[in-house]
Amino acid sequence: MNRRTPLSQAAKALGVVVLISLSLFPFYWMLSTAVDTSPLSRGASLLPSGITFEHFRHVLFDAGFLRYVRVSVVVALGTVLLSGVIALLAAVAVARFRFRLRTQVLIMVLMVQMVPLEALVIPLFLQARTLGMLNSLLGLTIVYVGFSLAFAIWNLRGFVAAVPRELEEAAYIDGATWGRMFRSVLLPLVAPGLVATSVFSFITAWNEFIFALTFMQDGAKYTVGVGLRTFFTQNTADWGSVMAASTLITLPVVIFFVLVQRNLAKGMTAGAVKG
Amino acid sequence: MSTAPTLEKNPSGGAEPFVRRTVPRGRRLRRGAAPWLLLAPGLIVLGVLLLWPMLRVLNLSLQDYELRNLLRGDSNYVGLDNYVQVLTDPFLWKTVLPNTVGFAIVCVVLTMIVGTSVALFLNSLGTLWRSISTTAIMVAWAVPALTGTYIFVWLFDPQSGLVISALDGLGIMDAGSYNWFTNRWTFYAIATLNVVYHGFPFIAVTMLAGLMTVPDELYEAAALDGASAWTRFWQVTVPTLRPIIAVCVILSTIWDFKVFVQIFLMPGGDGTTREVMNLGVWSYTQSFAQGEYGMGSTIAVLLTALLLVISVVYIRTLMKEEEL
Repeated sequence: MNRRTPLSQAAKALGVVVLISLSLFPFYWMLSTAVDTSPLSRGASLLPSGITFEHFRHVLFDAGFLRYVRVSVVVALGTVLLSGVIALLAAVAVARFRFRLRTQVLIMVLMVQMVPLEALVIPLFLQARTLGMLNSLLGLTIVYVGFSLAFAIWNLRGFVAAVPRELEEAAYIDGATWGRMFRSVLLPLVAPGLVATSVFSFITAWNEFIFALTFMQDGAKYTVGVGLRTFFTQNTADWGSVMAASTLITLPVVIFFVLVQRNLAKGMTAGAVKG
Repeated sequence: MSTAPTLEKNPSGGAEPFVRRTVPRGRRLRRGAAPWLLLAPGLIVLGVLLLWPMLRVLNLSLQDYELRNLLRGDSNYVGLDNYVQVLTDPFLWKTVLPNTVGFAIVCVVLTMIVGTSVALFLNSLGTLWRSISTTAIMVAWAVPALTGTYIFVWLFDPQSGLVISALDGLGIMDAGSYNWFTNRWTFYAIATLNVVYHGFPFIAVTMLAGLMTVPDELYEAAALDGASAWTRFWQVTVPTLRPIIAVCVILSTIWDFKVFVQIFLMPGGDGTTREVMNLGVWSYTQSFAQGEYGMGSTIAVLLTALLLVISVVYIRTLMKEEEL
């Protein structure tokens, strides 16, 4: 199978080049359009016609993206904090205790992830309207906690289960209460999992579009996604600026994601070896 | 560990008298309550934000509910009228359902083929190039659906996008001569490209993790028996990875049925071109553009029912694989 003939080596090298360039191409096209001096007359040339940061300046300061970024960051951080705490408690419950209905709770956590957001947006919009929670950062944050929670519980459950029970028992023998054990043993050991889960919650809130579009009707409360759509509808042909704004939204997600993905794999193998 | 099972396991027919280990009642109760106390905040959030709205949408789907009903706070039940109206609408059968189901099937098949091929290829590489390539496809995965869609819209821009410029340069088509976003087929071809590009990395990474667990001995034995690479793939790899393949197929199916942003953000995808609507967009525009929340809810319930069936299959498959 692993013939090392020069021909198969060359084919593999070619395959790697094709795979990497196709995977990165849309991302590259976005970046290079964002810095292009005249994106509309660029045609099919792979290199931008010139380098400029004018599009970034335009969307951040003239088009108000700085404000949208601030709204999105506040909502996303709120989501991370709330869903992190709630999910950790729930994950400890399902990973450490055997109780009646445990399997049913887990099945429910899995099932709620399948619910389409399009179905939830109607009742939640009506509810938020009744409660006066439209155009409220808190309202949007609470909704996002609901969406990110199921995945967070599911993900953290694995990390909590990977912590050897013996460590907990050792803490009890040393006279620690459950609360003390939780703070001094469990929490530091699941910290990598907590980081990974937080990043996913952040990305969920940052990328979400339907609810942000429906709930935030006041221009001052737009998230980055809604801001981008509004900007696009008003300046359809201004591709340099649209891609600059897209870059601002995409870059943090890509960086976070690639970093955490490594971390996640490391955490999993470490847990497996210790097990 | 709860002590309750030991207490219940009182052997009725046993010869020896059962020695009851007495655990103070208060502590027993507290131990039994501990997991529920920990779960309470999570269950409340999921209940209020996911389960309760699902019941409400079901309730709304039986009403002719508009914004004035909300303002007045009254209800307006019409029985199954909305369902009859939606299910007898030729628009559902000729346009919306094919756009939802057909599109999802094409996307799932293509995503699986691309993802699996990439996984097989990655598995044949050395560690260094494998991790470099994996990072590259992670980038494809991480690009948000929102901005990814705008990138594809820009690539296929009828005036000055990359694709039309290249075709113009080759003398095949003139720039600005045709708008791909107004034709149902080309619209969905672009959407398919977008969804498959966004979805294949997950399949590739998951399948790669599976492939790395298949023992080499199996392939060596098959090769000794004279099996070709193609036969080895279908006779060794596929049967060994069947559970992982099943999970990948079902998860992609669920995701591809729910596609909303990638359609909604394309030119004409937000309901202005009725030909390209899918279930999600139809439900959304019916509610928020027409103000008919009852009808919108009915369509949403149909979409949810479709997903529920797939989800049950998913959970069954998962339950067979591992103890939860």
